[in-house]
Amino acid sequence: MAKTLETMGQVCPFPLIEAKKAIEDIHSGEELIINFDCTQATESIPRWAAEEGHSITNYEAIGDAAWTITVQKK
Amino acid sequence: MAQMIITGLICGALLGFVMQRGRFCLTGGFRDMYIAKDNRMFYALLIAIAVQSIGVYLLIQTGVIQFSAGAFPWVAVIIGSFIFGIGIVFAGGCATGTWYRAGEGLIGSWIALFGYMVMSAVMKSGFLFPVNQSLQATTLPSNSIPETLGVSVWIFIAILVAVVIWILIKEVNKPKVVIPSLKPKRTGLSYFLFEKRWHPFFTAVLIGAIAILAWPLSQATGRMAGLGITTPSANIIQYSVTGDVSYINWGVFLVLGIFLGSFIAAKASREFRFRMPDTKTGINSFIGGNLMGFGASLAGGCSIGNGLVMTAMMTWQGWISLLFIILGTWTASYFVFVRPQKIKAQSVSTTA
Repeated sequence: MAKTLETMGQVCPFPLIEAKKAIEDIHSGEELIINFDCTQATESIPRWAAEEGHSITNYEAIGDAAWTITVQKK
Repeated sequence: MAQMIITGLICGALLGFVMQRGRFCLTGGFRDMYIAKDNRMFYALLIAIAVQSIGVYLLIQTGVIQFSAGAFPWVAVIIGSFIFGIGIVFAGGCATGTWYRAGEGLIGSWIALFGYMVMSAVMKSGFLFPVNQSLQATTLPSNSIPETLGVSVWIFIAILVAVVIWILIKEVNKPKVVIPSLKPKRTGLSYFLFEKRWHPFFTAVLIGAIAILAWPLSQATGRMAGLGITTPSANIIQYSVTGDVSYINWGVFLVLGIFLGSFIAAKASREFRFRMPDTKTGINSFIGGNLMGFGASLAGGCSIGNGLVMTAMMTWQGWISLLFIILGTWTASYFVFVRPQKIKAQSVSTTA
């Protein structure tokens, strides 16, 4: 069961700060879905996930200035 | 007048476009040096400074443009830059960042921008002008680093270029992490302009080039400076409330161009949407904007005017301002991002 983190309306760097907290609450192999609308996070969230070694199972734009990314915990 | 409008808007639009697409955020960059131990955006800024420095000093030596560093109002620069650094964290973007995020449709940035513009005008011709003037009165005679030390400016440019090359070599040799990107929906030029992720160092080179271009374009209209954000932003308010046309200059169209260029980039990339902040973010944006306007007016420049341009000109004002902007950003980041996390962690461990 994937956990969803809703950060729409939050400005950077809060979506990333929230994501870092949320990933601590799930187990290895589980997924965290992050919805965000802060443009800079299109760079910072995937970079963080890649550098931490988590995998990205989905990443797409869901509308004008709105994105969703699914991070699978390593 | 027509030339001023056209070249100012074009230069600004290029800058706004490049900053929006390149996600060139100095506030985020300075903040992440501290909270994420990530120096990439700071390195990108150094690249932009080096590119501009070479270009502008070539233009000065060939007589295309003129530059005089003047005196160094060190007290105002130190205090102003530190306050500016605190302000940009609360506003969620530096002066230029706020202009381009306003173009992305962020209402929080509109609020910050309003506070910033009004406070800058208050400092430059309003009731705080005497405060500004008295703090700026304490000066050191020379603002130019090469002049003070009695050596050629090219020595400093060579040092900066050497540092930049060393950073580039270090970065290239780092183990590469593949950063996942969105599935491409476009091809060719449209993909490159409106979808591809730009490397911050590539963006920095473009920003350095635009900063060079700004000098001759601005000086051709009689404004003897390069990129500048704070004075033009104040000028818009001063002109709006007095109707005095002498407030209109190339810089005014430059900042309006940033807004326009960012809007075009965001709209075409499907990244434009009006976004209303919550109350807390709205209030922070307003406070941050006012601190930005106060600090930048005092320091004689923002993270662009001092941090990108006056640094490239090899002035004390530029480099000391950059240092104190970064210190201000870190101080505010501690209170806004680091301390709340610590308190939360502590309260969790005591209740457990």
